[in-house]
Amino acid sequence: MAEQGRVGPHLRLCRGCRRFTNPDEIACPFCHGDMDALQAEHDALQEEVRQAADALRAAMAEARARRDA
Amino acid sequence: MSELPARYAGDDDLANRVPVIVVWEITLACDLACKHCGSRAGRRRRDELTTAEGLKLIDEIAELGCRDVGLIGGEAYLRKDWLQLIAAVRANGMDCTLQTGGRNLSEDRVAAAAAAGLQGVGVSIDGLREVHDELRGVPGSFELAMAALRRVTAHGLSSAVNTQINAKSMPQLRDIMDLIIDAGATNWQLAITVAMGNAADRPELLLQPWQMLELMPLLAELAEDGRRRSLFLQPANNIGYFGPYESSIRNILDDEIHYRGCAAGDALFGIEADGTIKGCPGLPSAYAGGNVRDKPLREIWENAEPLAFARRRTVDDLWGFCRTCYYAETCMGGCTWTSHALMGRAGNNPMCHHRALELDAQGLRERLVQVKRAKGDSFDHGEFEIIVEPVPVTAPGRVPDRICVNG
Repeated sequence: MAEQGRVGPHLRLCRGCRRFTNPDEIACPFCHGDMDALQAEHDALQEEVRQAADALRAAMAEARARRDA
Repeated sequence: MSELPARYAGDDDLANRVPVIVVWEITLACDLACKHCGSRAGRRRRDELTTAEGLKLIDEIAELGCRDVGLIGGEAYLRKDWLQLIAAVRANGMDCTLQTGGRNLSEDRVAAAAAAGLQGVGVSIDGLREVHDELRGVPGSFELAMAALRRVTAHGLSSAVNTQINAKSMPQLRDIMDLIIDAGATNWQLAITVAMGNAADRPELLLQPWQMLELMPLLAELAEDGRRRSLFLQPANNIGYFGPYESSIRNILDDEIHYRGCAAGDALFGIEADGTIKGCPGLPSAYAGGNVRDKPLREIWENAEPLAFARRRTVDDLWGFCRTCYYAETCMGGCTWTSHALMGRAGNNPMCHHRALELDAQGLRERLVQVKRAKGDSFDHGEFEIIVEPVPVTAPGRVPDRICVNG
């Protein structure tokens, strides 16, 4: 069988300082932030943005429907 | 959600060693005289592959699973059968793109290439008019390159720009970006000028390692601005690594994408005009894995030891700063071409943002000094020594990016 190529490891992005870290880090070695807590905060913010975008789309659709009625 | 481009190598491609991208220098003939040309192109080689050999090679490339063949030179359109080669690449189900200096990429040539199936063209723009003309060695070449870019756009081909980042062009990157967006470019590939060939004869042209502190935030800003304006910035393998802008400069639909090491010889290879196969088109001849005139491409791809350097490299092969770097396991010393051309062997790459940041935090910076000149051959290189020195204090607060090159 032919030799396999090198697949480099995937790192984890610190949501505090935007540096990549080894996946098993509990605290970011650069900003010392709590990796899981920062990720949770980021995910929550992303969810808020998603919900706000959904709400905006719905409001625009409703406004269009009213205008066309 | 958009799909990733065909030329993006995924984990399966890397593991299975699919040469997703093949870069083929079809001739060394060139109508420019670039001061940074690694292959020192100009006249065609006497032993360039014939049309029949080229067509056979295209079949062999397709058999390996390649998805994208990039034709380069020299100047690819100076080869008489370039349209035939493009058509053959497309007939084999692969994407085909062309990289050009654009000096004589006339309307007729663009139309003929599009008719042959060419999908995209990357035009080299290395500065505003004066800098570009100086670097490309031909007065008027800037206007001709910009005209070529507009022509490519008008024909509906994917239009890209390649820019070398060096001491002359770095201060002009933002202005270059504005110009190429106006001309219709949608992709911008940026590469740091490598100390190879003609560039090795001009060390004053090369960036110094500490300039990564200035370059990376600039590229991140340009990448973000570019995304807003439909220009996709593509950092070459020698741009990085792992500072706070890593995600911003490499964000292809996913901000967790990061550099994962040199993929030369695993997900791509290069072909010289005489049929020599290397893991990457820029590498010096020590990395030649064989010639398709002597053995089948598949045999070279699967068995040639000089193509195996990236997949066999371990942290123990690294040296200097890279040996004990936090990112050693992932990065493996970054671009093999860049580090070999500077240091005479791979595994220690001073052109690194993380490294510059770590040193800067200690009040230090690295400066490259050429200690050995290149011989004057295609793909040759000299050798540089790294001087570690205190960061000069030139103003209230340390501002290392305002220090002159080679200062």
